[in-house]
Amino acid sequence: MKANHLSYIAAIFLMLTSALAFGQYRISGTVKDDKGKIIPAASVSLSPAGMATKTDSTGNFNLEGLKGSQTLTVSSIGYRLFRKEIRSDSSVRLDVVLKPDTRTLNEVTISAGSFEASDKAKGASLTAMDAFTVAGNNGDLALALRSLPGAQQIGEMDGLFVRGGTGEETKQFIDGTLLKNLNYPRVPGVQQYARVSPVLFKGILFSSGGYSALYGQAMSSALILESNELPEKSSAYFAIFPPNSNAGIQQLSPNKKSSYGVTLRYTNASFYNSVVKQKPDYFSGPEYIEGDANFRIKTGKTGMVKFYTNWNVSDVGMRNPDIDNPTFRAGYQVKGKSIYNNLSYRSNLSDSWQVDAGMAYSYNEDHTVNSLINSEGQVTDPEHEALSYKNGQRLIKSDFAQGRLVFTKMFSNNQALRFGAEHFYNRDRGMSNDSTLALTDNLSAAFAEGDIYLADGLAAKVGARMEYSSALNEFVVAPRASLAYRLKKGGQFNLAYGIFYQKPLNDVLYLDRELKFSNAAHYVLNYTKKANNRFFRIEAYRKQYSDLVKTMPVTDNSGSGYAQGLELFFRDKKSVKDLDYWVTYTYLDTKRDFLNYPYALQPAFAAPHTATIAIKKSFPDINTFVNVSYAVATGRPYYDIRYSAGEGYRIFDQGKTRTYSVMNLQFAHLFSVFSSWKQKPVSGFSVGVNNILGTKQVFGYNYSFDGSNKVAITPPAARYFYAGIFMSFGIDRTSDFIDKNL
Amino acid sequence: MKKLVLSILALVIFHMTVSAQETTAALQSVVTKLDQAKKAKDYEALEKEFLAVAEQQKSWLPYYYAAFCNAKVGFINQDDGESIEPYSIRGEEQVEKAKSMLDTVRQKKELSELFTVLSMVYRTKVFINPMTYGRKYGILSQQYRVKAQELDPENPRALYVQAWELYKTPKMWGGDKEAAKKLSERSLALLQNTKADVNPHWGKAENEELTGKNK
Repeated sequence: MKANHLSYIAAIFLMLTSALAFGQYRISGTVKDDKGKIIPAASVSLSPAGMATKTDSTGNFNLEGLKGSQTLTVSSIGYRLFRKEIRSDSSVRLDVVLKPDTRTLNEVTISAGSFEASDKAKGASLTAMDAFTVAGNNGDLALALRSLPGAQQIGEMDGLFVRGGTGEETKQFIDGTLLKNLNYPRVPGVQQYARVSPVLFKGILFSSGGYSALYGQAMSSALILESNELPEKSSAYFAIFPPNSNAGIQQLSPNKKSSYGVTLRYTNASFYNSVVKQKPDYFSGPEYIEGDANFRIKTGKTGMVKFYTNWNVSDVGMRNPDIDNPTFRAGYQVKGKSIYNNLSYRSNLSDSWQVDAGMAYSYNEDHTVNSLINSEGQVTDPEHEALSYKNGQRLIKSDFAQGRLVFTKMFSNNQALRFGAEHFYNRDRGMSNDSTLALTDNLSAAFAEGDIYLADGLAAKVGARMEYSSALNEFVVAPRASLAYRLKKGGQFNLAYGIFYQKPLNDVLYLDRELKFSNAAHYVLNYTKKANNRFFRIEAYRKQYSDLVKTMPVTDNSGSGYAQGLELFFRDKKSVKDLDYWVTYTYLDTKRDFLNYPYALQPAFAAPHTATIAIKKSFPDINTFVNVSYAVATGRPYYDIRYSAGEGYRIFDQGKTRTYSVMNLQFAHLFSVFSSWKQKPVSGFSVGVNNILGTKQVFGYNYSFDGSNKVAITPPAARYFYAGIFMSFGIDRTSDFIDKNL
Repeated sequence: MKKLVLSILALVIFHMTVSAQETTAALQSVVTKLDQAKKAKDYEALEKEFLAVAEQQKSWLPYYYAAFCNAKVGFINQDDGESIEPYSIRGEEQVEKAKSMLDTVRQKKELSELFTVLSMVYRTKVFINPMTYGRKYGILSQQYRVKAQELDPENPRALYVQAWELYKTPKMWGGDKEAAKKLSERSLALLQNTKADVNPHWGKAENEELTGKNK
């Protein structure tokens, strides 16, 4: 008994004094971060001894370790775990440096050549609404982007003219699938609206160079739009902005798993045109009827099905003095019909796999009638054979379908691998005067792209895209690569390279199939810095064009060109209270030899210097907003290129237009009516004037057949006025969210 | 024999209570430092210290204070929307942890304090980009403040948050600077006799900063 007690006591004694027995070796040191700042209260432990302590307020720690090898582990929230093998025969002193845990910092996103405007925007980054509410945009998708660097101020044509490229070199995508016809049918000299409402989108990626391998067939730029997810609440709205009126509803299901919505828009400018004198003499319309519908369904835990359909009908008919015979009038009328459908599905297949599938179908019909009317008001034939187009009709019916599938595998450190394939089917049939036009093309593409983490603050994106067109019977492979390097204080360098192939335009392919893809190689470098609600960006680029389509002397791919320049963007939401402004400057140097150019020329849609400023000031106490925007651009070149027997096409006259300078002003005021209603409607009115200073704009010149008559291409009216009201109603269900989470 | 065992047991128990007192003392020392904190840097360092105390002491308070520190950083840096997100994410996580340690039926006053801080954390999410985050998180922020006041109408910190909301909201959406000032004064009055112990007692400096703007 006594012996047992003794050993029992001895064991306890030994246990209580074990610390002393093992404490032969001291391990001490300081813990700092990679910037040299001390880290207090960091956990420091030794294994297998099991000793643990915390660093004190000066970052120092003190541990008693075992003899031999053991592992020192240091950890602190926001930093990566530190482990070190220690072999000690005597006391050791170390300086431990903890690296920040990148998962708690923003991931490095590569932004060479692109502007992202999304609802996830932080600080001074752009949101979709920022772009749409710039004064003078009228909520138009394409116009909104002209206040960003890269897009030229082209007042007489629709579409986006990016970095020396034509409007056809930019393509728009909604949830991955191509939106073939963004704007209403072209009307010479009169800019047409975009068909899709910007309110649908939560994210816009405007890439003016070096875009991802997931997209193709656009030599200059891709406008990648992402539609909204389920709305937060059901809502309805209407707006009347003569000549435009529209209304819509968006209904969220009670279980918050699905939603549907419908909007209708009607525009008829006849009354407005009778009040505000327009240059063209409109005999029909302009009239546009448009409707769209959507539904969104959440499937399973992570899946989302989205469907969007848009249908519209338009009619614009105008007469202008004929350029070759001023006593005659040239009539132009275009009637358009179009329907566009987009179905997309996204889901997580597992923790690290995601699938995106999309299908689109659109049908487009453009019926154009040209007529030449003599001084007696009768349709007459022009004198010259070459001018026979002045009396003619053209009807093009276009079917388009696309299927697309993309898989994404996610890895650690924000890395990912994306791969997929898509197929585009396009069938055009129609007639132009007496000749039939037909074109069928099947274009297939397969692509792969990887987001790679190279080091702390250094990320790369590498990809390749293969495309095959049945109409051209040509197969191409395009590389894409970009790199981002984030500096310590919030600045970032980005680099991008890629080759972008594009089919020749359908208008050319109707007549000649023996053509190849044209392509442009992009080289882009930029520096961005975002801090304190300010955003600065400077970007330089070079584009090399090859195999551009030339139509004279024969139709082939012997054209080429280049575009290079510099762009600046600065946005400040902080310096002045309630004032948000941004300034851009674009320098563009470009020449190309294409279509009927006799040699490489600076194209008519490129201005060397462009600057824009957008200012938004809010007065929250009186719920009023004032927006001003100003754009100025140096003159655009114009040419009279005509066929001269024996010499081919040559330039008979050329020049530069006057400087483009337009200031837009908009004023909006919110007010509350029916405030006793449970769902307080938000109402407001807005008035504005585009080109308030009434400066004269000349976009270029048209020449008569013999070159003797030179007519300036000017806007249909000096100023554009608008005034209207809107009202939106919402049913707030956020209280349901709170109750569920208590 | 028995005496020896008992004395050893007493030693062990003494050791344990000393440790417990040590950890409450540890929490108290960090809370005292919190009362002196002014800059974002201070709050960032204090968040780490609170988390260190949290690992030893199984209580809601260290996580509550860590979330409060993250909320303060968000408020101080409200003009730099780029940098706020990591703090508000951590703040949200820490409120969740603290809530899991509370008896939500009986500990009404504690839950009220926690919801007040959650309201502030959601407000910091609004600062990231008021235009896009404002609608969702502004409403959440307000709703949690209301819940906090339902649980404890006399909570001076919830009153401060309400005063902040009234002061900063434009008139059309329900703002009222005069009413805000009155609420802030009422909050200060309630804060008069609070002890500076480990339980939440902040609010004086915040109210003074808010009403200082009125002068």
